[in-house]
Amino acid sequence: MPSEPGASEDGSLLEGWEPVVGAATSLEDVIDRAFDYRGDVTVVHRDGTELTGYLFNRDAEVREPFVQMFDRAGDGPITIPYAEIRTIRFTGKDTAAGKSYEAWLRRKSERLPAAAASDSARGA
Amino acid sequence: MSVPVSQMWTVASYVLRQKLKRRARYPLVLMLEPLFRCNLACAGCGKIQYPAQILRKDLTVEQCLKAVEECGAPMVSIPGGEPLMYPDIGRLVRELVARKKYVYLCTNAILLKEKLGEGLFTPSKYLSFSVHLDGLREEHDDAVCREGVYDTAVEAIREALRRGFRVTTNTTLFDGASPMRMQMFFDEMMDLGVEGMMLSPGYSYSKAPDQEHFLRRQKTHELFRKMLERPKRRWKFNQSPLFLQFLMGKQDFECTPWGNPTYNVFGWQRPCYLLQEGYAATFEELLATTKWERYGRASGNEKCQDCMVHCGHEPSAVNHTFTSLRGFRDTVAATLTGKL
Repeated sequence: MPSEPGASEDGSLLEGWEPVVGAATSLEDVIDRAFDYRGDVTVVHRDGTELTGYLFNRDAEVREPFVQMFDRAGDGPITIPYAEIRTIRFTGKDTAAGKSYEAWLRRKSERLPAAAASDSARGA
Repeated sequence: MSVPVSQMWTVASYVLRQKLKRRARYPLVLMLEPLFRCNLACAGCGKIQYPAQILRKDLTVEQCLKAVEECGAPMVSIPGGEPLMYPDIGRLVRELVARKKYVYLCTNAILLKEKLGEGLFTPSKYLSFSVHLDGLREEHDDAVCREGVYDTAVEAIREALRRGFRVTTNTTLFDGASPMRMQMFFDEMMDLGVEGMMLSPGYSYSKAPDQEHFLRRQKTHELFRKMLERPKRRWKFNQSPLFLQFLMGKQDFECTPWGNPTYNVFGWQRPCYLLQEGYAATFEELLATTKWERYGRASGNEKCQDCMVHCGHEPSAVNHTFTSLRGFRDTVAATLTGKL
């Protein structure tokens, strides 16, 4: 299991990342990355319990910093204080990865006759 | 400008009321996103990349109406996702029209003809279908990553107009857009009979697949100058002429990120329609606790440096019209002469 983020096959930098919070990686940094991540994550609580879902909000600037999630069934929002989080694993598929414009152009050129594909590429 | 007089009057009187109340921050258009699902996956869109349980979520009509009431803006834009995929879109629109909100239903129009046929909507001066068209057939189908969408949208526009609905278009312009082709597009839209067109440069969403084709500030000025330096009298734009002058480099506005606040299944989005830096539970909380000084070009925030998008700058243009003699004079002059 990766402890450092690295690119997966479809281009996601975070998918599959299982950070160990410590001197090199702060909890705040992991939370910020989870907030920016467009896939499900698993929040590991300090008591060892886990919650998997989509982390859509975080506020580190209030007196008791928190994250908010919808679980995998879409129920929520569920609010979890930073103080209760041990780490976050990036367990879900990154829905923003692997959908590049270039990939779409490639797929399109495969579908269309050669001449039409050439015109489209010039216009892009 | 092609905005109906009653709508102009509603907006003008609303802005003046906010000025009299000395409200430093007030919204102009609520961006209401009742869902994130879409029947397209456009290369420039960063709105739909979510796990399945989030894409399945809908706001209830009651949640939508509460947001409209909290916000108080005179205009409500319903983007998404694709709003015609929202199961209660007919009821939502009826409720908003009953509240005399000017509604812009922003749609790719793939389902529009079908929904019109079902009798889901009734023509009203308060309801306008704002059909997404990023140019002529080739450019639009390229932008939405699907062949045939332009033709479907044009057919739906004809049907909506035939049934007596207000129809406008909204166009996002990317790097590589041809001024001449865009002028041909303006002609084509006017020939179709749409009420007006809305233009905006694209914004480089960090989650959008296409990161290389968004316009930078200088290029934006050049493109809009070439497109609009000699506008035909018949071209009607459903937006502030000062905003178009801003895009041409003739005006300079700071962003007004609270001008078009966004409400969706996550809550009130901070700070604007484009950036997602967190969510507030209420509109009041959004206004009171967002660190507004961190946004806009003057803040130095790098995410804002090249942004010239309508949702932050059109409210600035409207505010300028009502807070300075020069702004008022320029707006009147552009409206009467048709020159930008």
